[in-house]
Amino acid sequence: MKHASRAETEAETAFSAYPGPVLRVRGRTGPNVGRMTTGGSSGAPRTLAEDLRARDDDALAALLRARPDLLAPVPTDLTQLATRAATRTSVLRALDHLDAFTQQAAEALAVTADGCPYDTLRELMTGRSPVAGVGEALDPDVAAAVAGALPRAVAALREHGLIWGEEDRLRLVRTARDVLAPSAATPSPTGLGPSVAEATAGMSPARLQEVLADAGLAATHDPSSAITALAGLFADPERFGALLAEAPEGARAVLDRLVWGPPYGEVRDATAAVRAAGAGTPVQWLLARGLLLPAGQHNVVLPREAALALRAGRAHRTPQPVPPAVAPVQRTAKTVDATAAGQAFTAVRTVTDLLKEWQTGGPAVLRAGGISVRDLRRTAAALDLTEPQTAFWLELAYAAGLVATDGEVDEAYAPTPAADEWLLLPAERQWAALAAAWLAATRTAGLVGTRDPKGRALAALGPDLDRSLAPRVRRGALRLLAALPLGAAAGRGDLLARLRWDRPLRAAADALREDLLGWTLEDAETLGVTGRGALAAHARPLLDSAEGLGQDRAAALLSPLLPEPLDHVLLQADLTAVAPGPLVAALAETLGVLADIESKGGATVYRFTPDSVRRALDAGRTAAELQAFLTKHSRTPVPQPLSYLIDDMARRHGTLRVGAAAAYLRCDDDALLTELLADRRASGLGLRRLAPTVLAAQTDPSTLLERLRAMGLAPAAESADGDVLITRPDARRTPPRTPPVPVPDGPPVPDAALLGLAVKAIRAGDRAATAVHRTPSDPPPGLPRTPAADTLATVQSAVLTGESLWIGYVNAEGNATQRVIAPVRVEGGYVTAYDHTADEVRTFAIHRITGVAELAEDPS
Amino acid sequence: MSCLIVQSDKTLLLEVDHELADACRRAIAPFAELERAPEHIHTYRLTPLGLWNARAAGHDAEQVVDALVEYSRYPVPHALLVDVAETMDRYGRLRLSKDPAHGLVLTTTDRPVLEEILRSKRVQPLVGARIDQDTVAVHPSERGQIKQVLLKLGWPAEDFAGYVDGEAHPIALAEDGWALRPYQKQAVEGFWHGGSGVVVLPCGAGKTLVGAGAMAEAKATTLILVTNTVSARQWKHELVKRTSLTEEEIGEYSGTRKEIRPVTIATYQVLTTRRKGVYPHLELFDSRDWGLIVYDEVHLLPAPVFKFTADLQARRRLGLTATLVREDGRESDVFSLIGPKRFDAPWKEIEAQGYIAPADCVEVRVNLTDAERLAYATAETEEKYRYCATTDTKRRVTEALVAKHAGEQTLVIGQYIDQLDELGEHLNAPVIKGETPNSQREKLFEAFRQGELSVLVVSKVANFSIDLPEATVAIQVSGTFGSRQEEAQRLGRVLRPKADGHEARFYSVVARDTIDQDFAAHRQRFLAEQGYAYRIVDADDLLTGADEDI
Repeated sequence: MKHASRAETEAETAFSAYPGPVLRVRGRTGPNVGRMTTGGSSGAPRTLAEDLRARDDDALAALLRARPDLLAPVPTDLTQLATRAATRTSVLRALDHLDAFTQQAAEALAVTADGCPYDTLRELMTGRSPVAGVGEALDPDVAAAVAGALPRAVAALREHGLIWGEEDRLRLVRTARDVLAPSAATPSPTGLGPSVAEATAGMSPARLQEVLADAGLAATHDPSSAITALAGLFADPERFGALLAEAPEGARAVLDRLVWGPPYGEVRDATAAVRAAGAGTPVQWLLARGLLLPAGQHNVVLPREAALALRAGRAHRTPQPVPPAVAPVQRTAKTVDATAAGQAFTAVRTVTDLLKEWQTGGPAVLRAGGISVRDLRRTAAALDLTEPQTAFWLELAYAAGLVATDGEVDEAYAPTPAADEWLLLPAERQWAALAAAWLAATRTAGLVGTRDPKGRALAALGPDLDRSLAPRVRRGALRLLAALPLGAAAGRGDLLARLRWDRPLRAAADALREDLLGWTLEDAETLGVTGRGALAAHARPLLDSAEGLGQDRAAALLSPLLPEPLDHVLLQADLTAVAPGPLVAALAETLGVLADIESKGGATVYRFTPDSVRRALDAGRTAAELQAFLTKHSRTPVPQPLSYLIDDMARRHGTLRVGAAAAYLRCDDDALLTELLADRRASGLGLRRLAPTVLAAQTDPSTLLERLRAMGLAPAAESADGDVLITRPDARRTPPRTPPVPVPDGPPVPDAALLGLAVKAIRAGDRAATAVHRTPSDPPPGLPRTPAADTLATVQSAVLTGESLWIGYVNAEGNATQRVIAPVRVEGGYVTAYDHTADEVRTFAIHRITGVAELAEDPS
Repeated sequence: MSCLIVQSDKTLLLEVDHELADACRRAIAPFAELERAPEHIHTYRLTPLGLWNARAAGHDAEQVVDALVEYSRYPVPHALLVDVAETMDRYGRLRLSKDPAHGLVLTTTDRPVLEEILRSKRVQPLVGARIDQDTVAVHPSERGQIKQVLLKLGWPAEDFAGYVDGEAHPIALAEDGWALRPYQKQAVEGFWHGGSGVVVLPCGAGKTLVGAGAMAEAKATTLILVTNTVSARQWKHELVKRTSLTEEEIGEYSGTRKEIRPVTIATYQVLTTRRKGVYPHLELFDSRDWGLIVYDEVHLLPAPVFKFTADLQARRRLGLTATLVREDGRESDVFSLIGPKRFDAPWKEIEAQGYIAPADCVEVRVNLTDAERLAYATAETEEKYRYCATTDTKRRVTEALVAKHAGEQTLVIGQYIDQLDELGEHLNAPVIKGETPNSQREKLFEAFRQGELSVLVVSKVANFSIDLPEATVAIQVSGTFGSRQEEAQRLGRVLRPKADGHEARFYSVVARDTIDQDFAAHRQRFLAEQGYAYRIVDADDLLTGADEDI
C-alpha cells in the first residue's frame, strides 16, 4: 500500500521535474505540428493535407463524423486521410450527404476558377444588380437569406473536407470540382455550360481571331490571350451590355432559351465560319461574335461567362437558402396519443396472433427465399388482414427477430426463441421492441408484390427487400414531426419537400424516397408511432435517446395509455362471451380454446359452439372444470343454454372410445378370460379387458395363438368377418409376376440398316487414318497440328473448294479425336461441316481444332 | 370508461347496463344496424346500407364519426373512420330528379362518378341522352332499375324525383277510445317525411296501424300487398275498425275474389301467379292511380314483386316488417326499390314499454327412445329432420305441455301435416292447414278469439299476420328447418299484449342429439340475439313433474 503510493508520487515528481524534455520530445516527433503553427499564422496551406493539419482536433473529429467512410481503415497520417478524402467515391458520398443549399454553394464554387474568394462566391449566389438591362436581380429578401446562409454552407463544406484554403482563396477539392463542374456529359444543376476557354479548345487560332474581330476586340498575338480578351468582354457588364444592345431581333430570344440551361442548342451547321458581315440569322449573329460557340457539328453552346453575364452573375436561378417550412396541422395531443396507443396495442396483438398462427407450422421457405404468395394470402386470411398489411407485420416480426427460418431440411418459418421472451414482456415493452426494430430496419415491406428489374415478384420475407435509405427516411420524417409542436401532424408534401432539401438525391433514389416516405407514414400510423398523423409522445424517446434507454422511456410513457388487462368476461344467452377489453393471458388462452373468436378489436367477442366446447374437452378439460372456469370469470351468471351446451357435449364426449389393439380375444366364458388375465404366463401379451367377454392384446394374432397353445389352451383364429379360420399350412403364393425375358447367347443379329451405318462409320474412320496428305509432305503420325490462323485459312478454303479435311478435334470433355469433315460454313468461330466419321452435319469450334490437313486425292 | 367498443371489423359493442348506454344507443341507432341484442352487450354493425340509411335520414359523416369517437371506450381505428366517411360520401353524389325540360334526369356533383357509372354495361341501357356534363336523361320507366344498379355499383342515388299524388280518397284514423302509440306515430312521421321506406317493428307491435296511419297521411287510394288471404281479411277488418273506411271501400284481390276498390288488398300469391309465362294480374298495379303502396312482411317479398316494384318508383311505398333479415340476402333490393329504413325499434324496448307481452321462451329437450334413435340413425338423410321432428315421444311431450296449460289459449304449431293431424286427434283440437277453406279458418280463429276453443293446431299458414291476441301459449313441434324469421313470426303469435298483462309462453319441442336440435339452435339465434333468452328444460323432468316451475 505504502509502496504503491510512493511509486505514484515518484511518477508525478518525474513528470513535473522534467518538463523540458517532455516538450522537446513532442516537438521532435511532431514536426508537422510545428509547421502547422507556422503555416497557420504566416502562410496559406498549399494542399488539403496541409489544411487538415492546420485544423484542431475537434474539426478533424467533425470531419470523420461527417464522413465515416474515411475511417475504414483508420488512415495512418493526414496525408493519407487527405488522399482518401479526395477519392471520387468518397467525395460523391460526401456530396450526397449535403443539404440542398450547401450543394448549391459547392456547385457555384465549381464554376469559378480555383481559389475563389468568398466575396466572389457570394456574388455568384446572390447575383449583382443588372447593368444595362441585362439579366434580372434576385429578389432582395432571398438574396439577404442567401447571404445569411452562405457562411454556414461554406463552413459545412469545409467541415466535410470538400473545400480548404483561406477565405480569400477557397479551394474546392479537385475531385469535387471534376464531379460538379459542368461538362457535356454531366450537366450541372446550375445549367451553366463550359467556359470560353473550354468551349474554344478545338477552334483554329485564325477563326478565334475572326470571332475576336467580330466581337469588336483588338486582334491578339496568341489564342490564349484571345480567349482572355473574349472572356473579359463577357465578364464586363458594361461592354457586354453594349454588345448585346446591337443584337438583331431574335438573338435575345435565343439567349433567353439557353441562359438558365441546358446551355446547348441544336442548329443546322454549327461549325461554319460565319463572319459578322455575313450573319443572316440571330444564331449566326451570335456565333460570329462568340456568344455562341460550336459544340460539335450540329450543336452550339452558350459559354459560361456569357451565361453568367446574362444572369446578372447568378449561378443558380433559385437558390434555396432556407429549408422549406413544414406546416403543422394541429390536433389534440391527447387524441393523438390515445389513437397511437390504440394502434400500438393492436400492433402487439397482431404480432402475437401471427406468432401463434405460425407456431404450429409456418409456411415453407421458397427456394429463392421468402414465402409464397399463397402462404401470404393464407396468413392474411388467418389474421383477417389484407396482404400488404400482412406483409408489413411479417417483415416487422422478422426484423424484430421474432420469426426466422428453422433451418430444417424442409425449411419453414417459425417463431424464434426470442419470440418466447418477447411474448412474456408486458405489452408496452413488446411495442417498444417492435417500434425500435421498425425504425432501424432496412427491410421494406411496401416493396412486397412489386417486381424487380428482372421481372421477378418480390416475396415477403424474401431477398432484395433491403433498402438502405429506409431507416434514414423513417428517422428523417419522424424527426421532422418531432420538431413540430406537440400533437401536430404534417402534410406528406411538406415532409417530402423538406427531406428533399435536407438531402437532394438523384432521380431514381428520389422516387424511392417518395415511396418510402409514403410507407413510413402509413406504417407509423399502423404501428402506433404516430396517431392521426402526429408523432405520439411515447414514440419520441425512441427517436432521440440511446437504443435501450429510449425503449425504456417509450415503454414507460406508453404503459398508462394501454388498456388494463381484464380478468372477466360477460357471458350471454346467445352463447357469446364478450371481453370488454384485453384479457389476462391465462384467461385469453383458455377462452380461446373453449370458444371461437368472432370479432377482434378493443374488445373480443367469443362464440361457444359444440365444436369449440368439444375442443376444450379434447384438451383435457372436464365439464365441471369448464363450468367452474366460466362461473369464476363471468361477471354475470352463466346462462342456462351455455351450461346445457357444455353438459350436453361432455355427456357425449368420449362415449365412443377409439384405441389400437394388435389382436383380440373373444370368449363366452368370462371366467376363462379372468383366469387368463391372472395367469402370469400371459403377462407379456399385453392383455386388457374391454368387456366381460372381450380382451384386447398387444401381440399379433399368430404369436398370440402360439402362446395360448403353449399355455395349454385351444384357441381358434377368427377372420375379419368373424368366421373361424381353418388352420392348415398356407400354400404360399407370390404377388402377380411376369415371366422372365429370355437372355439369348451372344448379341442379337443386326439388321440391314444398322449394318450399313456400321460400314460407313468404319470406312470413314479408316479414311481418316490412312489418308495420304498433300502437305506437309511428311505428316506426323496421329493428330496433325497447325497454328490457329492456318487452321482457319485451310477451313475457309475448303468451304470454297468443297474439299474434305482431316482434323484433330478435342471435344468438350477433353477427348482428342480425329475426324474427316467437309466444311460447309465458317462463322463466329465455328465450322459447320459434314462429319464423315459420324455421318452427320456437326458444328466444330475452331479453337478446339488442334490441327488440320487436306486429304490427299481420293486414292481410289 | 364509456360504454361503446368499436371493433375493427365494424361491429360496435354496446354495454347496456352502462349509465351512458341509452344516450349512446340513441346516438348510434341512426347509422348502425342492431345485429344482436342479448342481455348484456348489444352488437351493432356498420354497413354501407346502414350508413346510407343514415345519409338518407339527413345524418352526415361528421355526426357518425363524432358519435363513435365520443362514446368509444378505446381509440377508434382510424381506418374505420376513414371508411365511414368515404362510404357516406358515396351517397348523394348522384341524384335522380325531375327536370322540367328533360323529364327524369340523373345529375351528379362529381363528374368522374358519372363517367364511371356511365361506362358500366348495366347502366347504359337505362339512360338516355347526355344533357350536359353533369346530367344524363333516364328513361322514366327505369327509375327503379337504375337505383338498383347504382346501389350495386356502390353509388346509391338519392331519389328527388318526387311522387305522384295519386287519386285522392279521404281516409282518416278513427281514434275513438284508442290512439296511435308514440312509436307508431314516430314510424308514420318518419315514413311520411322520407317519402318511401321501410318501418321495422316487432310482431305484435301494431304494424297494421302504422299502415293505417300512413294511409291517413296520404289520403289517397292505396294498394296493400300481404302474404295471404287470412292476413288480407285481417287487414280489412282492422282498417274498418280503426279508420274512416267502410267495408265497401276496401276490396280484396286474391285467388277467390278480384275486387278493385279505393283501398285494395292483394296477396303476393295472386300477383306472382303465372299463366303461359305472363303475370295476368299485373294490371292491378295500373288499374288505379294508386297514391300509396303498402308492402306487408317485406322480408318475404317474392322476387317478381321486386320487379314490378321497380316500375312503381313514382308512387309512395311503405314496407312493413319485423326483421330486415332475408334468408335470400336481398336486403339491398329492399333498400333501393322500396326505400331506406325509416324507423326501427328493438323488440325488448317495445316490450319494456308494455306494448307487446313479455314472453318466456322454453326449449324442451326430448330424449328419444332407443328404438327411435335407431330409426333416426338409419333414416335417409333427407328424411332425418322429418323423422326426428315428428317422433311419438315429441307428441307425448306436447300433450303433456298442453295438459299443463289447460285453460289457457294454446296454439300448437308445426310443419308436417300428418303430425299435426295426429296431434289434433290426440288433443281433440281442430287443425288448420293449407287445405282448410278460408271460411272455415276464419270461423275457427273467431272461436279461438272468443274462447270457445282453447287449443288450436295450426300449420305454417298461421306463421303470418294472424291476429290471435288471446293466445298465450305456443308450442312449436316442428319448423321449416332452420328458418330464423319463422321462429320470430311464431313467437309473434303470442306477443300481443294480454288483457290481464300476463306473460306469454313459447315452447319449442326439440329432439335431443338430432339434427332437430341443430336447426332449433339456428332458429333461435335471431330471438336470442333479440334478447329472448331460451330456457332449456328436460322433457323427462317435465313428464315426471320434477320441474314444478313449468
